Amino acid sequence: MSDISSPSRRAGMWAHASNDIPRVVLVLTIVGVALGPLGLNEYWRFVASMMLIYTLVTLGFNILLGYLGQLAFANVAFFGVGAYAATIAMNGGLNFIPGILVGWIGGGIAGFLVGIPALRIRNYQLAIVTLATGELLRWLYIHGGSITQGSSGLEVPAMKLAGYQITTEIGKYWVFLVFTVLCLTVTRNLLRSSVGRAIVAVRESESVSLGLGMHAAGFRILAFVWSGALVGVAGGMYACLLGRITPESFGLTQLLVHFSMVMVGGLGSFVGSIFGALLLTAIPETLRNFPGLEEIVFSLLLIIVLRFVPEGIGGFLGGRISGLRDRFFGGKS
Amino acid sequence: MFAQLVASGLVQGSIYAVIALGMTVLFRSTGVVHFGYGAFFMAGAFAVYVFSQVIGLAFVLAFLAAVAVLVLLGMACERMLVRPIAHGPHVAVAMMTVAMSYLLTGVARFFWGQEVLRMPPIIDVPPIFIGSIVLTAQDLLIIGGCMALVVAFFLFFARTKLGKLMQAASQVPRGAALVGINVPGFHMAMWGVVAGIAAVAGTLVAPVTMLYPDMGAHLLIKAFAAMTFGGFGNLGGAVLGGLIIGLAEQLAGFYISTALIDIFAYLVIIVVLIVLPNGILGKKEATRV
Repeated sequence: MSDISSPSRRAGMWAHASNDIPRVVLVLTIVGVALGPLGLNEYWRFVASMMLIYTLVTLGFNILLGYLGQLAFANVAFFGVGAYAATIAMNGGLNFIPGILVGWIGGGIAGFLVGIPALRIRNYQLAIVTLATGELLRWLYIHGGSITQGSSGLEVPAMKLAGYQITTEIGKYWVFLVFTVLCLTVTRNLLRSSVGRAIVAVRESESVSLGLGMHAAGFRILAFVWSGALVGVAGGMYACLLGRITPESFGLTQLLVHFSMVMVGGLGSFVGSIFGALLLTAIPETLRNFPGLEEIVFSLLLIIVLRFVPEGIGGFLGGRISGLRDRFFGGKS
Repeated sequence: MFAQLVASGLVQGSIYAVIALGMTVLFRSTGVVHFGYGAFFMAGAFAVYVFSQVIGLAFVLAFLAAVAVLVLLGMACERMLVRPIAHGPHVAVAMMTVAMSYLLTGVARFFWGQEVLRMPPIIDVPPIFIGSIVLTAQDLLIIGGCMALVVAFFLFFARTKLGKLMQAASQVPRGAALVGINVPGFHMAMWGVVAGIAAVAGTLVAPVTMLYPDMGAHLLIKAFAAMTFGGFGNLGGAVLGGLIIGLAEQLAGFYISTALIDIFAYLVIIVVLIVLPNGILGKKEATRV
């Protein structure tokens, strides 16, 4: 599994991808993603927005789990911090864009704070600390008095953007789409740049990366900050989409959903993260009507993926996409 | 009042100690940190409930049946889920135990998620007064049972040949395999043993806390705190850590604020790992370069 996102393999998957895929396909995809939800009913438009949110969540989590290879389970904490920070800012009268920026910064700060102990502690101990952080934050939301309104949660004001109030599902979807595409592009470029390769190098061998003169601690912190910031943006969008956030939304079940999406998508896979999020968000909400069913389905999925397709969709497709591309778009890779 | 708090702290602490001990034993012998151990504990409690209250077996039989079920469950998990991916990255193995945890919790919630189940006390005798301290028979049973398990484990590892073999197999698996120890079989046995311990702990605690699907998740964090506090992977440290956390939780809850009881363990984890990463009994570990 470790070779999936090793620099050479990813270079094979990514380096020429944008050159090789004809522009027509790219344009059609963009048009399809932007206009497709017009043909859906309100419920599925809501699900489409949720897919965008979970795409960012999964990618952010994957930066830590897959690219940096650290057992950092604080993703739900970043998600919650982003959601609460953005909501509090918007309740204070901010528009959507500055509000989401507050979520972004809040998530980034949370990532930074979790990243500092991660310089000293690794593996299981890090997993335990980050798990504890998530639960500690949930306790804070419950006992936060007038700031977080306890277990009943916070009401999120209507999205205000450039003088307009966005209340329709499709309007929210388009706004979220712009932000998601922006975040995905920046993240993809970051991961493809020397920074991304350095993060993978730190995962593969910290001593080698230190020996090559890399600032391993800096890249480690950077991965945490960027992961937190991405998930923080997703948290802000989540708050706006739902209209109310409660401490319950940021508990252990949420963590399971994030885990499953990353593992189904594939550790350290960019496309995989997107596919994992899309696929698992589409699992019908009806599961939630039966207590426990959501946990059963997601955990079985997680077990099956870990046991039989440990490289996830990303790794599974990765080998095949380059093969297909060779066949259809002339064989350089 | 102080004495009473100490007594109830020790009762709580001995539960944490046993769960932390089970996880430490598994970690020491197989190198796996079992994020699903809390759920195994919960499953043990539910199994006793099902055997004694739903099926109607006598308590002793129900208890033995629950332990047997959990031992088999633990062994099956190792054989079917962990062993095939044991040579993969640590992240995958950790995730697998997380998935086990959610699966068991989900099943419990699916069947019994709506109500909090009551388990009648194991022995029905009036509470005992020692000076100003009140202890129920159940409390004494918990302390006694937990301490018996702890002592049994220490004797097993320190005195018996099998215990020594197990330590050898965990320290140098390849070397142990070379001298003819069945290492995979030993791993499977350890998964069974610790699952059995979880069932015993679940049985002891069930009448006090009542049964609900999330009872394992809460306990897991406390056990992690105990392990962290005592030095990760240290058997004595896990037990001591459990007792100290149980005590400190009660005292902090009474003298500072009751809201602290819920998060005391989290605070301990975070502070200890940042200030004293090797715990109170752990040895300093040199990073191999």
